[in-house]
Amino acid sequence: MNSFPVVSSSQYRRLAALTALLIAAFAGLGYRLVDLQVTQHDRLADLVSSERQRTLVRPPRRGAIYDARRNVLATSLFVKTVFADPSQMGTNQAAIARLLAPLLRLDESRLVELMQPRAWVDAQGERKELRYAVLKKKVPLEEWQEIRKVMQGLSLGVDESKLTRSELRKYLTEKRRVGNSIGADPVDDQVRVYPNGPLAAHVLGFTGVSDSTNRNPWSSDLVGKDGLELRLDGILIGAGGWQRILQDVRGAELVAHRDQDVAPRAGLNVVLTLDAGLQAIVESELAEAWAKHTPNSLSAVMVRPTTGEILALASLPNFDPNAPGDATADSRRNRVICDLAEPGSTFKIVVVSGALNEGVVSLEDVFDCENGRFQFRGQTLGDHHPNGALTVENIIAKSSNIGAAKVGIRLGESLLYHYMRSFGFGDRTGIPLPGEVRGIVHPTNRWSKISVAWIPMGHEVAVTPLQMVMAMSALANGGRLLRPILVDHVEDEQGRLIGGRAQPVVVRQILGEATAQKMVRALKTAVLTGTGKQAQLDYYPVAGKTGTAQKIKDGVYSHSAYFASFIGFFPADDPKVCLAVVMDEPKKGSYGGETAAPVFQKIATRAAGYLGIPPILPPLEARSSGAEPSTGKVAAAPLTSPPARRTL
Amino acid sequence: MARNRRTQSAEVRFGPALKALLICLLIGGAAVGYVCQKNQLNELGRQKKQREMQLEELRLRNAQRAKQLAELLSPLNLERRASELNLGLGLPHPAQVIVVTGSPSPQPRAATAPRLAQHATPNDREP
Repeated sequence: MNSFPVVSSSQYRRLAALTALLIAAFAGLGYRLVDLQVTQHDRLADLVSSERQRTLVRPPRRGAIYDARRNVLATSLFVKTVFADPSQMGTNQAAIARLLAPLLRLDESRLVELMQPRAWVDAQGERKELRYAVLKKKVPLEEWQEIRKVMQGLSLGVDESKLTRSELRKYLTEKRRVGNSIGADPVDDQVRVYPNGPLAAHVLGFTGVSDSTNRNPWSSDLVGKDGLELRLDGILIGAGGWQRILQDVRGAELVAHRDQDVAPRAGLNVVLTLDAGLQAIVESELAEAWAKHTPNSLSAVMVRPTTGEILALASLPNFDPNAPGDATADSRRNRVICDLAEPGSTFKIVVVSGALNEGVVSLEDVFDCENGRFQFRGQTLGDHHPNGALTVENIIAKSSNIGAAKVGIRLGESLLYHYMRSFGFGDRTGIPLPGEVRGIVHPTNRWSKISVAWIPMGHEVAVTPLQMVMAMSALANGGRLLRPILVDHVEDEQGRLIGGRAQPVVVRQILGEATAQKMVRALKTAVLTGTGKQAQLDYYPVAGKTGTAQKIKDGVYSHSAYFASFIGFFPADDPKVCLAVVMDEPKKGSYGGETAAPVFQKIATRAAGYLGIPPILPPLEARSSGAEPSTGKVAAAPLTSPPARRTL
Repeated sequence: MARNRRTQSAEVRFGPALKALLICLLIGGAAVGYVCQKNQLNELGRQKKQREMQLEELRLRNAQRAKQLAELLSPLNLERRASELNLGLGLPHPAQVIVVTGSPSPQPRAATAPRLAQHATPNDREP
């Protein structure tokens, strides 16, 4: 027996129609599925990822710069970019602006204007609302925290106690929405901070925002623009990280779905040979001299002659690297390495040491200095003071141009040129600062017939103060010319040394030790009895040379504008510090011995105390009265220099 | 061939019911577990994000404090403060410096000597 009920034909038709309908519906769904998942897959996937996925760049912290005693010279701070979401503010713009204006230090009406809701229709014809309006960039953390606190405690002018429960709920939601309408970018900006202000500004340089054309999206937009910041940019900048995150509909990150999280690598820290204490001494004394002599510019550079380490380097006028835009380009120029000038008499050390080294003269040889006027190949050379016969030692001490010219003539053109180049003139010293110039040293085939007499006086050549101080350091260092060292070492964030410490680099041995000793003797005489008397120090013998070079104005040597300089080192027989002071057009006084030498004396006195250099001689007063050398309260300690070497 | 319904016993069959219940419990339990796990994951994610933000904030504060410290230690600032407070502080005159060079200290143990050398900084070098 058939247990199935009998189905009529009309029922079959209805069933067939229903089946067909279902099949059609499923086919339609299937088609749509294939359309969405296959045909439009790429477009939709992009749309979804653009809506929900974000890649956050994590900028690296720029490395710090320290001095030799680990004082921070430059560091970086992360700061916030504060923005508003006008679409969430309702009509509360004025109230929010009133609260934020004092915190952001912006005008209230300007804030209201920035927070006005705006809408537009995009290319797809969809209406879009402005949800991101930058209110202020580079807001410090403290300020941002204050803003957040204020926004959390925001009151919309409603008395909550008078509201019903549902009204209160509605009000709190509104309050939260408005409170969250002010936010900070998840990616922080960075600002460079120089805690010492203008101290060592020309060495450190400054940073700026990279041009959009060459900006690396994975790196900080803060790049070096001058000084060490520029030269060591590749070391300081670090490498950026990133996060690829998924957001929910409210824009909050779904941390569990973070598929890429690469931490940024901070830039390396740089430790300099520069000493902030010495730098401060140099800069404060330069400032005092600036006020007294009102020159066009004033520079000083201090070097440890035995290693070539730069201890201080300063130039006036200077600038504050925290606000480099406030200074003129002229003030930002590092004159110690960028400015060229005829060195004047300080250049006599080159010709005399060359002649001594070649054995063409000795310190005791006597030259007739022609009572201040010397005719040479149709030109007249003059001395600032008429001198008769002078020994080579006194030519240096009294800075006789005629004597130096005669020594140069005896040395000869090719050897003079050889020694100029050997002392490093005409070449960059190799200091890691941008903009260093080579100087001007013409080859002998471009010399005039009187060049051999003019160059020993410091004319027809152009040098930088750094080249001069390195040349003088070579004399203090037994005739070895060293490369200046400014960066002692580089280390990572944890203080681990990268690549070792800088070691002294001998560029070349210019002179024999004996010649260097003789030069030291002559330079000591120059300070003791010659033109550099005002550079004498209590307790220490000084070796040095003054320089007064006429400036060229309108194509002729001026008789009113001078480059005055003094370059010396102390203690003369065991040098710890070599220092050059260069003054461009001092208005009060003109000779190096009366303008630059006293500045040297003041800097050197303070530097000796700061470095704790043990006294070697009695004070000047006691020396002039013929007292026995004394070092003050020296307990059970022989002097560092033997008495025989103290003979001046 | 299936047995006729009339021939089947009227007693409740617990086996299939238990099986169905177990399957329901399994599916339900798995679903609840999944939701709990998801919840926990979200909660941990939220906490992680919070900690990350705290850490970042502490780093920023630390950098801010380091900057303040650097400003306070700045030689220019120290000099200004010393003169402001009129403390009579200044660099010693060379004559005020006492150099003590006593008898050489006992030879350090071999094991510690290299370590001391390693710790020397450029500032320890004689100027």
